[in-house]
Amino acid sequence: MIISVENLVKKYNGYTALDGLNFTVEDGDIFGFLGPNGAGKTTTIRILTAMIKADSGNVLVDGHDVVKEPLAVKRIINALPESNGYYEWMTAYEYLEFFSNLYEEKASKQDIHKLLEVVGLHGKEGHLIRSYSRGMKQRLGIARALINRPKLLFLDEPTNGLDPKGRRDIHDLLIDLNQKHSTTIFLSTHLLDDVERLCNRIAIINYGKIVRTGELDRIKGKGTIEDIFFMSTKEGAL
Amino acid sequence: MKTAYIMQKEIKESILTPKGFLWYILTSVILSVLSYLFLTNSELSLLDQGEMLYMIMNFITALGVLIGLVFGADSFAGEIERGTIEALFLSPANKTEIAMGKLGAALTNWGITFIISLPYLFVVGKGGQNLLTGIAYLAILGTLLVITFSAFSIGLSARIKSMKNSLIISFFIFLLAGSPIFLSSAQRGTWFGMILDLINPFADAINTFDSVVIDSQGFSYQIGRVAIICGYTFLSLWFLKRSASRLEM
Amino acid sequence: MNYSPVFAASRITVSINPPFIQANMGDKIIYTGMITNNSDKAVNNIIAYISLANVTRGKEEPMDLEDWSANKAIKVDTIPPRGTYEGKWPMRLIDSGSYVAYVMVVDKNDNIPVSSAMSRLEIKRVLRLNPNNVLPVALGEPILLGIVCIFIYFRRKRVK
Repeated sequence: MIISVENLVKKYNGYTALDGLNFTVEDGDIFGFLGPNGAGKTTTIRILTAMIKADSGNVLVDGHDVVKEPLAVKRIINALPESNGYYEWMTAYEYLEFFSNLYEEKASKQDIHKLLEVVGLHGKEGHLIRSYSRGMKQRLGIARALINRPKLLFLDEPTNGLDPKGRRDIHDLLIDLNQKHSTTIFLSTHLLDDVERLCNRIAIINYGKIVRTGELDRIKGKGTIEDIFFMSTKEGAL
Repeated sequence: MKTAYIMQKEIKESILTPKGFLWYILTSVILSVLSYLFLTNSELSLLDQGEMLYMIMNFITALGVLIGLVFGADSFAGEIERGTIEALFLSPANKTEIAMGKLGAALTNWGITFIISLPYLFVVGKGGQNLLTGIAYLAILGTLLVITFSAFSIGLSARIKSMKNSLIISFFIFLLAGSPIFLSSAQRGTWFGMILDLINPFADAINTFDSVVIDSQGFSYQIGRVAIICGYTFLSLWFLKRSASRLEM
Repeated sequence: MNYSPVFAASRITVSINPPFIQANMGDKIIYTGMITNNSDKAVNNIIAYISLANVTRGKEEPMDLEDWSANKAIKVDTIPPRGTYEGKWPMRLIDSGSYVAYVMVVDKNDNIPVSSAMSRLEIKRVLRLNPNNVLPVALGEPILLGIVCIFIYFRRKRVK
């Protein structure tokens, strides 16, 4: 089990964002984390990536407590947040090199070039990020999230802003990462097509609680993922 | 080491982008205008060498503090608004390391400002007394003041998380602290003025410059004021550490 | 309306030297005032001060010497009988024009202040464009930094 979440609670100024969240993620999963806007998806990811602290509950990432061992957690994880900004004055190469330097195991020049090639930015390393399209920036963000060869990768709306070909390329990349490099992927998305194509297990969150979790095929049954999603997140579903 | 890489990134941004470089050019233009003005006055013997050196040292210190305050206001708040802070927080660099990296960059900006100022100091203070001593005091006290105000501004930026508000408060702090430059020594000679001078680290610095450059007094006369400045520096660093470690998205 | 009575001439005479100065703005000069005690008794605690008047046509006015001279007035403790005292008044010339300078002496035992003759002072305006050789730094540094900035900007600018 790579992620274990028990009774997670997080409140902001009296508003309860997470209300006793419980779920697990197994090694090697591509785990879909679904929910309507404001359900608590981003807050959950921020707690799991040790960016913020929960008010109560236990979170273990690869056996490390995110509160007591944040550094150990950050060494093995990485993430692409939904609204990821970039240092637009840097080139793509400089950007990746900077983040690589913050880890103990730094990526070599060849590793960085290879990474840019993998995300489809080969030949654009020396260009300023300012000149990149939205899709190119998204690819660069994914490259940054892979810079430390994470065991666990969090992606919040990773195909945001990409055209269909771009989306397909990212899908193929994620599948490749999962199958060839055994990277566990935690995918938060609204795009149910992405979930259908990529995920083997999912959890649906609504009003800070998990309303459904388990293997995708078992949850879907004879229905569609849309049916399950809307049924689970309609008013009164809790 | 992570602090060093973050500092390196911040310095590169200062040097490689117009945002940073424009400040250096503006600093140079301001000092050019001031030194020309002072020297044309000196030609009429309205100002002597010591007074000119003292005045330009005050302006250099004020510029260094201002740059530190403005860059500090942008440090955390700017990254939050531009969406770049999350990627930093995801890395193994902790918030204190990030804050120290930004402070290191602020100090480097001051170092560059100081180097830009050196030719002006030499041309204005040429032939006068206490030039080298004055430059040494400017280097030391200027550095302490830049650390003080930059650390405070970075800490404020981490707490407020809004660049606009951070900048406004920083400007007020600058006007308050820098007010001795705009008031004559006669106006600051009252008991109230003297108390304000003593508790204001910026005023302590410029009074030290006056004592060293114009009155040629030794270090023993400066100990009290330097101690107060050092006290403020430690206080600011403590404020920065506390503010950075408590910063949450 | 009552006026002060006119008394006999003072025991003191004063002269100013040099009688004529031609100089440039920014120069420093020194006036010498010779105060002579013409009586058989010593004179004590007299005050001598220098005055300046602008006599440039259209700009006639007495001058405030605050910026021109740091020591405008001298107090002389005593001048022995038939003795002299030489006073010095350094002055910095901070504005151009035609002036007259004179020294006044006040003895409180007399009712008449004593004046020297007027010394003419002609100050020429001189435009110094490069005081203390500041221009290479004042112009050179911003230009140099600007060139470096432009160089860095174009090097970094990569547009496809």
